[in-house]
Formats: sequence, structure tokens, C-alpha cells
Amino acid sequence: MAARLTTRAFTGLRPSLRMQAPLSLGLRSMASVASTPSEEPQPKTKIFHIYRWNPDEPASKPRMQTYTLDLNKTGPMMLDALIRIKNEVDPTLTFRRSCREGICGSCAMNIDGVNTLACLCRIPTDTTKETKIYPLPHTYVVKDIVPDLTQFYKQYKSIKPYLQHSTPAPNGKEYLQSKEERKKLDGLYECILCACCSTSCPSYWWNSEEYLGPAVLLQSYRWLADSRDEKKEERKAALDNSMSLYRCHTILNCSRTCPKGLNPGLAIAEIKKEMAF
Amino acid sequence: MASIVRPAVLRQTCLATASKRTFSTKLSASFPAINKPATSVLSRPAVRNAFVKDALPSAVRVAAFHASGRQAILPPLPQVIDGTANDAAPVPPPSPSHGSYHWTFERLISAGLIPLTIAPFAAGSLNPTTDAILCAAILIHSHIGFESIVIDYIPTKRLPKTRVLFWWGLRLATVVVGVGLYEFETNDVGVTEAIKRIWHA
Amino acid sequence: MLAQRATQQSLRRLAASNPSMASQMVFKSLAVGSSMQTRYEILVAQRKNRPTSPHLTIYKPQMTWIPSALNRVTGSVLSGGFYVFGAAYLVSPLFGWHLDSASMAAAFGSLPVAAKVAAKFAVALPFTFHSFNGLRHLSWDLGKTFSNQAVIRTGYVMLGVSTVSAFWLALFA
Repeated sequence: MAARLTTRAFTGLRPSLRMQAPLSLGLRSMASVASTPSEEPQPKTKIFHIYRWNPDEPASKPRMQTYTLDLNKTGPMMLDALIRIKNEVDPTLTFRRSCREGICGSCAMNIDGVNTLACLCRIPTDTTKETKIYPLPHTYVVKDIVPDLTQFYKQYKSIKPYLQHSTPAPNGKEYLQSKEERKKLDGLYECILCACCSTSCPSYWWNSEEYLGPAVLLQSYRWLADSRDEKKEERKAALDNSMSLYRCHTILNCSRTCPKGLNPGLAIAEIKKEMAF
Repeated sequence: MASIVRPAVLRQTCLATASKRTFSTKLSASFPAINKPATSVLSRPAVRNAFVKDALPSAVRVAAFHASGRQAILPPLPQVIDGTANDAAPVPPPSPSHGSYHWTFERLISAGLIPLTIAPFAAGSLNPTTDAILCAAILIHSHIGFESIVIDYIPTKRLPKTRVLFWWGLRLATVVVGVGLYEFETNDVGVTEAIKRIWHA
Repeated sequence: MLAQRATQQSLRRLAASNPSMASQMVFKSLAVGSSMQTRYEILVAQRKNRPTSPHLTIYKPQMTWIPSALNRVTGSVLSGGFYVFGAAYLVSPLFGWHLDSASMAAAFGSLPVAAKVAAKFAVALPFTFHSFNGLRHLSWDLGKTFSNQAVIRTGYVMLGVSTVSAFWLALFA
């Protein structure tokens, strides 16, 4: 490509060459100008350290594997980098991904020390800093950066995440809400259960067996705050013990890390307030 | 065509990464525990050999990860799921005295500590009654704080005996300290006045 | 591409001409279904091999969990000292320790100035930190100052105020 452009520049220059005196100098400078746009831009190589563990070798310990990518050839997001590594460098790298637009919650992982969705996380353009990717913290690892979220889903199920309403609707058709009542669900219904917040919570790290964690408690509040739900007292009673809710010490890693910009810490505080007074 | 070529390419990349892994010594340098297994304790060659073999079965192990499986305190247990993945996690029976009442009580004590802490700074010292109230509030606040440390770090399921030991040990300590403070309050000048005198000594 | 297509088509033709192959497939899937129990056992065994991903050591230090951890540490230090003193005072007559305020003040007063200031600062900093961070916690318990910006701002204010007041207590109070 470069060679062809140079020759074209050379032939194109012929008439002018005859007229200008410093032959060799003019030629070289023109040739270099012509070939500049065709040159590859300066490669922006960035180093990625990724947590690896293979269940087929259960005796081996987890390790960090290093990959180097040219950011000029990679998409802007962390998920683009992971997909490119899997496609072009190492097909054994395993991770979850689906929607690539922050609505499925599959690609939740710990990137540079913070839990987030890989598809919503830009690759820092500072190539001097090396990026580290781990699975969600303090989870059992299925493979590489795929965590096991069975306990998380079981806890979600335990809070009965559905409308509990036994009396028939007054108009015989549907349960109506005022605009104000509906507004209370804003900031709650958007949760996609990616588990970023729960696995950022030190309390959940130590007591995930009994403490429900920020994501599930936010969901719990989503049903407590719903004007149509009729089982509020039962819902509160299910949380009224030392473990389920009150292991929250307002550390607030949850609100800080939420990739959807929600505030699980505030939701938990609202539950505590409702139950206290 | 591409589908035929691809496996060959894949195999090459796999080999390349594998060799990279084998020759990467970057991480191993930061693991003196793995790299220097022969210590004075392991003087017998048989023991040493066994240890070396265990620590370094392959190059992959050398680059092993640091923060997993090396924690001395409370390493997580192997994963066990109760029931199937579709069963909900069990809901504990309600006990407000450990839940909402406990929380409200704790917050009232904490909020009450604000004026009780400001008072000695504002007034210079406290009268014996207020001083006793402050002492009692701090004692309860401390007890609840220690209690939540025990609940957080000594889970019943994991360490049932240790939990019981610490639970009742803490209660005993609180009673002992309570009696000690009662003695101090009745025989001496009171906690705030004593701190003030020591501070200005 | 071409090769793939050819294979697919020939497979399809085979399946159409030979119905027994389809029935074989069904049989195979049934056989797999009957081994659900073994598959579950494999899963249970596999779970036990799973490592736990790293947590405290790799999580980014932030204005959320670092002050929270320090809140617990400072509280434990203060309460621990309180407990040690209370218990020691109770048993002091048995061992002949002099823990009355007058002799403690005299003992502390005999220390060099630098040691006095250092000791005061070592006590004052946990006290101010825990007190001012406690105010943050109480405001959260009222459902206030929950936005990330507010948490970060109050965090820095708390650190500044508690350090300055600890210095003041150690040097001038």
C-alpha cells in the first residue's frame, strides 16, 4: 500500500521535478508527505491482566494472565477488549456477555478494582496504566471471570419479588396508582440484578449466607414502596432479624459502584426507617 | 475455507499463550513463600522434597494468584448449595429484639451520645449523674459495637463454638467493666473529670 | 464456508432418507435425561473445587469503605481501652495497681512533653474520627446525604475536621 502510493506520488510529481532545481531534496520531501497518511497510526498498546481459573484443572490455583492489545484496533469499551481477546488472542478466555448495552447485567466484573459492567466501562486511554480484571469479588468462580450467582438468585427469590395483592381491583380490571405513588418506584425498578453492588459490599462478603445484600434489599424495597402491594407487614417481618437486613453498616460501596446509577444504600436506609418508626 | 484454517490458527495461539505463561516470571518474584520453600523448619530432605513438589508442580503454579487460598484467617469454605438452584433461600423467623428494636435502640444511644460528648467540652466537666449516664451510654454503645463485630466475623454456621465463647465472653466482659466503672464513679472523681485531670497533667 | 454448507446439506439429506437416524437421536437424548442425577452429582462435586475470587485485596480504596473500616477500628480501639481500664480498675486492689485518677495523672504528668503530646494525639485522633464519622452515619440513618458526591464531600470534610481537632486536643486542650 505504502509503496504504491509512493510510486503514484513519484509519477505525479514528474512535471514539477523538471522545473525545480534541488532535485533529490524535493523528491524525498514530497515522497514522505505522500506516504504519511497511509502509515499506521502510532499503536496504543495497553496491557490487560485477567484472572484465570480452569475448572478442568481443579488442582491448579487461579492466576493472572497478561494480554496486550492495540487500542486503535479495539472498540472503546472493556467488553470490546474482552471479545477481541477471545476472538483473536485466546479463545479459552471465558466470560459472560449478552446485550452489550448495560441492560442484561451479564458482564458484571471487577475492573481496575471497581465492580461494573464491562459493556458500560470505557477502556482508560492512559496506556501507561495496566488494567486488571477480576470476577465479582468474594464469589465462587465457575471459570475465569464467570462467578456463580446461585445464592444471589436464591436470596432474590426469598423476598418474593412480585406483586402480592389478594383483594380484587376496584374497577374490576387493574390496580391503579397515582403519579406520586408511581414516582416512588423510580430509582428502584431500573435495577437489572447484575450483582455489582452486592459483591462490592464487605458485609455481604463475610455473611452472604444470611445477609441479603444491597441488590436484593433494593428489590425488597421496590415491593415495600409499591402502593399496590398488600403484604407489607409480612415483607417487613421477613427482614426483622439480625442478619437479613441489619448486617448493613452503611458502608455505601453499593451506591458508589452501581453501573446503573441507582442508590441501594438509600433504599436500605428507607427500609430501616420504615421498620424503626 | 475459513472454518478449516481456523483450528490451526487457534492451536497456534493457544500454544503461544501457553508458552508465554510458562516463561512469565513476573508474578513469581513477588511470592517469596512459594519460591523459598526450604526453611530451617523443613530440614529433612524428604519433607523438603514433598513441599517443593507441592508448591511447584508446574510453571502455572508459580504464577499462581496471591489473594486466594492464602488467607490464614477464615478462608471461605467449599461451595455448598442447600437444595436446588430454584429453591428460595430460607427466611429466618422474625425477632424484632435482634432486628428493628435493636437498631432503633442503638441509634437512640448513638444520638444521645452527641450532647453527652459535647457537654463536658462546653461545661468543663460533668456532675456525677451526667457522668454516670455518659459512662453507661458509652458502655452500651461499646457492647453493641463489639456484638456486631462478633456477628460479622464469627458466623454461627461456620464457627459455632467460637461464636458462643465470644458471645458470652463479651457479655461477661461488659458486666465486669460495668462493675468496675461503678466502683470508679463512686470512689473516684468520675470519668470526665479524671480524663480532664490526666489530660492537663 | 462452502465445505460447511456441503456438510450441512449432506447431513440433512441423510436424515431425510434415513428415518431411523432421527429416532436414534431421540433415544440418545432420553439416555442423557436419565442421567440427570449423575449430572447433578458432578455439579455438586465441581462446586467444591471452585475458588473464591479475591476481594479485600483487590477492591479499589474508596471514600466509602476505607472510612467505614477505620470507623470500626477506631471504635474498637476506644472501646477496647475503655474495657481494659474498667476491668483493670475492678481488679486493681487484688494486684495492688494504682489506677485512681490522682496517681494516673501524676504518672502521666511525669512523662516528657513529646511523649505526652504523642499519647494525647494517639487517643484524640480515634476519638475525633469516630465522633465525626458517627455524625455522618447518623445522617445516613435519617436517609440524608446519600448521593455519591455528598458521601465523598462529607468524607473529606470529616477527615479534615477530625485531624485538625485531634491536633488541637493534643497540643492546646
